[in-house]
Amino acid sequence: MDRSQILEKLNDIFRDVLDNDTITMAEETTANDVEEWDSLNHIQLVVAIEKEFKLRFTSKEIQGWAKIGDLVSSIASKSVK
Amino acid sequence: MQKSLLEQVVDRISTLNPLHSKKVKRNLKKMDEAYFRRADAFLNRYNSLLGNEGKDLEYGIDCYLKMIADVNFESVQFAQTGEYTSKSFDEVNARVYSDPEVMEYYMHGLVMSQFLWVHHYDILLHFNDVITRSKKNIKRYLEVGGGHGLYISEAISIIGSGAIYDLVDISKSSIEIARKMISNDTVNYNLLDVFEYFPASKYDFITMGEVLEHVEDPVRLLKKLHSLVNDEGKVYVTTPTNAPAIDHIYLFKNADDIRNVIKEAGFSIEEERCIYAEDVTPEFAEQYKISMMFAGVLVKAK
Repeated sequence: MDRSQILEKLNDIFRDVLDNDTITMAEETTANDVEEWDSLNHIQLVVAIEKEFKLRFTSKEIQGWAKIGDLVSSIASKSVK
Repeated sequence: MQKSLLEQVVDRISTLNPLHSKKVKRNLKKMDEAYFRRADAFLNRYNSLLGNEGKDLEYGIDCYLKMIADVNFESVQFAQTGEYTSKSFDEVNARVYSDPEVMEYYMHGLVMSQFLWVHHYDILLHFNDVITRSKKNIKRYLEVGGGHGLYISEAISIIGSGAIYDLVDISKSSIEIARKMISNDTVNYNLLDVFEYFPASKYDFITMGEVLEHVEDPVRLLKKLHSLVNDEGKVYVTTPTNAPAIDHIYLFKNADDIRNVIKEAGFSIEEERCIYAEDVTPEFAEQYKISMMFAGVLVKAK
C-alpha cells in the first residue's frame, strides 16, 4: 500500500470517527487544523486505525503524531507489503 | 506582565502535545476566579518543591505528559479489550511501584493532574464542602494513600490545628512528596501498608482518595477502614470507573459496582457525587466507557 492509499483510508477513518464528512487530510495536516481531533477522539481514532490496518502502535506513537504525514509513515513502516 | 505558572504550564503542553492541550484549554475556559487562585497557590508550592530538588516546572510538565502517554496507551488497550492491562498487585508492583524511574514521573504527573483535570478539581471542592460541614466532630483525622498531600493539606486548613492528623501510605515516594507539599508539621507520617496499621484509637474522619482501584480486593480494604473509624465517624472515599492506567487493577464498570463494594464492606452511603472525566453526554459516556469519578461519604451501616 503506498502513501496516497494510506492517506485515503485515513481520510475515511477520520471522517467516520469525527463524524464530519468535510474533513480532508493531507500529509501536512496537524491536530490544530481539525477542530474535532482532540485527546478523547484520538483514542477512538487510534483504535479504528489499528483495526483497519491490522497493526499495533507503541505508547510513544500514540502520544501523537506532529502531522498526518508522520502517521502515514508509522503505518507504512508497520504494514505488510 | 509575567505569565502565571498555570499559563506557563498550558503553553508548554500546547507546544509538546497539541492534542492534549485542546482538552486542558477547554477545561480552563469553564473555571472561575477561585479556581485560578487555588491553582496558582498549589503550583507555587509545587514549583518550590521542584526548585529545592534542582528541578523546574518544565520537568513537572514533562512528567505529566509521560503519564498522559501511558494513560492514552492503556486507553487504547481498554477500548479494545474492555479490561485493564494489569490484574494483580504483584504485576503492578513490578511494573510501577518498585521502579523508581516510573514512580518519579508518575507521582509528578499526578500532582499536575489535580488542577488540570476538571473532575479532580470538582471532587476537591466537594471534599472541602464535606470537611467544612463535618469539622466540628473531627478530632482525629486519618488519610490512607495520601499521594501528594493535597487533601490532607486542605483538611488541615479547614479543621485547624486542634485535631490529630495521621497519614498512612505504602509508597516511600508518596510520603516524600507529601512531606514537602504539606506546609504543616502536625502530620504524623506512617510508611506502611494500611493492613499493618493498628492505632490505639479510632478516627472521626478517614479520607482515602483513588486507592480502591489499585487493589485486588476493595471490599477487604474498606473493611479495614470500617475497623479504623468511630461508630459515628465518616469515611470519604473516591474511586473512578473505566479508568485505564498503568497501576489500576480493579475495574469498576459503573457507579453501582462501587456502591455494591461499599455496602458489602458494611458501610452505607450518606451522600455521593459522580462526575465524568470528559465533557460528554451520559449516552456517549456509556457507549465509549468514559471514566467517571465517584466520591462518597460513608458511614457505618446500622
